[in-house]
Amino acid sequence: MKVKGKIFALLILLFLLLLAACSDDAGTNEESEGTDEETTTEETTSDEDADPFGAYEEAITIAIGQEVDPTDTSLEEGETPLNNKYVNHVKENLNINVEHAFTASPSNYDQKVSLAIASNDLPDAMIVGPVELRQMVEADQLADLTQVYEDYASPAIKEIIDSTGGVALDNVTFDGKIMAIPNSQASADGIHNMWIRKDWLDKLGLEPPTTIEELKEVARAFVEEDPDGNGEDDTIGLAGPDTSNKLYANFLESTNNLYGFDGIFSAHHAYPGYWIEGEGGDPVYGSTLPETKEALATLRDMYAEGLIDKEMGVREDSGESVISGKTGMFSGPFWMPYGPITDAVTENPEANWQSYAVPLDENGEYTPHLSTPTSSYVVVRKGYEHPEAPMKMLNNLFAHESEFDHMEGGGGPGHYPLRLVYAPADEMEVTTVAMREVLAGTKEPEDFYDMPAYKLIKNDVDTVFDAKLEPYDNMDIEHWDITSTSFTRAYSALVGTAPQVDTEVKGVPSLIYSQTESMEDRWVNLKKLEDEIFLKIIMGTEPLDSFDQFVDDWKQQGGDQITEEVAEVVN
Amino acid sequence: MKAKGFAKHYYLMMLPGFVWLFIFSIIPMFGIIIAFQDFNPGQGVFNSEFVGLETFKYMFQLNDTPVIFFNTMFIAIMKIIGNLIVPLLFALMLHELRYIGLKRSIQTIVYLPHFLSWVILGGVLLDIFAYQGPINQLLGVFGLKPILFFGRADLFPFLIVGSDVWKEFGFNTIIYLAALTGINPALYEASGIDGASRMRMLWHITLPGIRTTAVLLAVLGLGNVLNAGFDQIFNLYNPLVYSTGDIIDTWVYRTGLLNLQYELATAVGLLKSVAGFILISVSYYLAYKFTNYRIF
Repeated sequence: MKVKGKIFALLILLFLLLLAACSDDAGTNEESEGTDEETTTEETTSDEDADPFGAYEEAITIAIGQEVDPTDTSLEEGETPLNNKYVNHVKENLNINVEHAFTASPSNYDQKVSLAIASNDLPDAMIVGPVELRQMVEADQLADLTQVYEDYASPAIKEIIDSTGGVALDNVTFDGKIMAIPNSQASADGIHNMWIRKDWLDKLGLEPPTTIEELKEVARAFVEEDPDGNGEDDTIGLAGPDTSNKLYANFLESTNNLYGFDGIFSAHHAYPGYWIEGEGGDPVYGSTLPETKEALATLRDMYAEGLIDKEMGVREDSGESVISGKTGMFSGPFWMPYGPITDAVTENPEANWQSYAVPLDENGEYTPHLSTPTSSYVVVRKGYEHPEAPMKMLNNLFAHESEFDHMEGGGGPGHYPLRLVYAPADEMEVTTVAMREVLAGTKEPEDFYDMPAYKLIKNDVDTVFDAKLEPYDNMDIEHWDITSTSFTRAYSALVGTAPQVDTEVKGVPSLIYSQTESMEDRWVNLKKLEDEIFLKIIMGTEPLDSFDQFVDDWKQQGGDQITEEVAEVVN
Repeated sequence: MKAKGFAKHYYLMMLPGFVWLFIFSIIPMFGIIIAFQDFNPGQGVFNSEFVGLETFKYMFQLNDTPVIFFNTMFIAIMKIIGNLIVPLLFALMLHELRYIGLKRSIQTIVYLPHFLSWVILGGVLLDIFAYQGPINQLLGVFGLKPILFFGRADLFPFLIVGSDVWKEFGFNTIIYLAALTGINPALYEASGIDGASRMRMLWHITLPGIRTTAVLLAVLGLGNVLNAGFDQIFNLYNPLVYSTGDIIDTWVYRTGLLNLQYELATAVGLLKSVAGFILISVSYYLAYKFTNYRIF
C-alpha cells in the first residue's frame, strides 16, 4: 500500500510539473513579445535616415517559412536552400542571416501556413495568399507595415506597385494600415494558353486547331493515331488537372493554373469561379450561369470520347506524362518551360512544344479570363524586431534578380527566400517584342538597357543569341540550343508569350479578387460543392442536369447572401 | 514481500503510457471550448469570444455532416467484419497444414504488410489499380474495359475495406493461431477415436475453443467504429470519391487545418468523441457480458 501511495504521489507530481512547464512557456512567450513590440516602435520611429538597401551593422536573423520544391535540381553540389549563391548574397549585402522556421513542398506549403496561423507559432516573415492574409489580420498576428513601406520600399518597387492603379495597396490595407507587402505580377501569369506538340501535328498532317471542334479533332488524332509511333495505344489528347491543380483558375487564385480547362470554358464565354456582370448589371457568379453548363457538356463529351486524360483529378502530377512524351496538349501560362517543358525537351529533343491562343469563341475571338495584378503577400509577424528586414530583402532581390536568373547553378527562383514577383503588367509582352526586334536586327540590345522596371530585359536581350539558333524567325525546337542557361527564359518569352502578342486578347476580369465577410464561413463549403459536382459531371458519374440542382443548392446554402455582399462591394 | 516488488514494476511500466495519454489525450481536451467560440488564433483559447451553440446549428445545416458520419460507420463496420472473418478462416486453414516450416513461412509472409505505412502502400495501391496498371491490363486480357478504380465513388469503400483487410489479416491470424494452440490436443484424439470427421472436429472442438477470442476481438473492435482509418483514406482519396469515402477524420482535417474553420472542425470532432464514448461504453458492457472481460 505504501509503495502504491508513493507512486501515485509521484505521478501527480509529474503531471503538476508538466502543467507548470506548459504554462511557464506561455508566460515567457507573452513577456518577450511585449518587450519586442516596444523595441520595434522605438526603432522604426527613431531611425530617421532609412536606407532601403543599407546593410545592418550587426548581423540580424530572420526565420522564414519557405516553399522548397524537392524536385528542383537547380542547386549545385554542396549547396542547400540556405547555403547558396543568392542567400550568401543577402548575407553580404544586407547582413541578414536567413533561417528556416519551416519548409514545405509546393503542394504542402499552404497547409504549413495554415498550421502556423492556427497554432499562433509564426515565422518572422513568410508569403501568404489573400485568404490567409485576411485571417491573420483578424487574428491580430501581423506587424503594421505602413511606416516600413513608406520609408524602406525602393523607388523601383513603389513605381511598380503604383502602376497597378492602387489595386495592390488596396488589397493589403486594413483600417488604413498597410499590413503586408503586395506583389505585382505580369498579367501573362493569368492567361492560360494551349501548349501543343507541333511535331505530332506535323507527323499526322494536321493544322494547329482554332475552334473547339478543331481542338477535339486534334485531340482525337493524338489519341487514336499513335503520334509517338511506339505502336501502343498510350497517348493522351488533352491533359486534365492533377490533385494540386484546378479545373479552372478562380477569383481567389486567378493565376498559374496548370493543366486546367480555362481555355475551353472561356471559349464558351463561361467564366466559372469568376464574379462577372450579369444581364441586369448586378454581379453574378460565373459557375452558376448557363454558359458554364454548356462548357461542362463539351468537356463531358470529350472525356467520354477519351480525348481528355482518363486519370484527370486522380493523378498526382499531370506534368509527368508531359515529360515522358505521352501528352499532346495541355493548358498553362507562358512560363511552362520553367515547369515540365524544359524536362520534356531534355528527355526528347524532338518534342516541339508550341503555345497557341486557342480555342477561340464562335466569333473567332480570344476571350480568356484575366488575373488580378496582385495575389501573394509578404507578411511580418507582430513583434518581430526588424519589420523592415523583409522589405530590404525584397528591394535587394528586385535590384539583383537578373544577375542570378541566368547564372549557372545560381539556385533559381525557387531558392530565393521571400521571393515576390515585381513586374509591370505587360512585362512579358514587352520582353517578347524586344527579343524579337533584337533577333531580327531591327534594334540593338543597348536600346533596351534603360528600362529599370523591366528588371530582366537587359539580360534577356543580351543572352537571346545563346539560346536561339538560326533561322531567328522559326521557333521550332530544333532551332534552339536547349542546353543554354538562357533557354528556359527565352523560350518562355518567344514561344510562351507569343500567343498574346500576336493575338488580340479580349480578356474578362473578375469584379472582385478577394473574400467578402460571409465568404469566410461559407465559401469553403460552396467551393467544395462546386468542385465535386463539376468534376463528376465532366467524368460522367453524375448527369449533366445535376448542374441545375447544384445552382439551387449553391444559392440556398449562402450563395445568394454572398452575391448581395459582392454587389455592395462592387457598387 | 514478493507481491510488493511486482507492483513496483507494473507501475513503472505503466508510467510512460500514462504520460503519453496525459499529454496527447487529456490536455488537448480543453480545446473543446473552441467549438463554442468564435476562435481567433491570435488571442488563443482563453480570450476568444463565446458564441454558444451557433457552430453546432451550422453543422447540422450542412449536407456533409450526415454523409461523413454514414461513411465513417459504413467503412468501419465493414472493416471490423472483414478483419474478424478473413483471419479466422485463414487461421483455420493454416492450422490444418502439416509441414511446420511451410506454415511458419506463410504466416510470416502474410504478416509483412502490417509493418508498412499507408504512405507507402497508398502509392503502391494507386499504381496497381491505375488506369494502365496491372489490374486493368489483366481485365483487358478478358476483354473488359479498363476501370478508373480510385475515381469511382461506388467502388471506393470496398477498395478501402479490401486493402485494409489485406494489410492486417496476417497480424490477426497470429492471435487466432495462438488461441488454436491453446486447445487441448486430447480433445482431438478422443473425438478421433470416437470416429469424428475433420469437419466434425472443426465444428465441435476448434470453433468453440476460439469462440471467446473471436467475440473479444469483435467487441473490442466496436470501440473503433468511428475510426475508419485516417492514414489509409487520406493517402488514397480524391474529390471524386468524397461522397462515399470522406470520413469524419479527413473532413475535420480539411475543414480545420486547410480551410481554417477551426470552430466547425472542433464541433464535428466533439460530436465524434461523444458518439465514440457511447459506443465504447456499450462495447465494454458487451465484452463483460459475453466473455467476462473486465478492466475495473
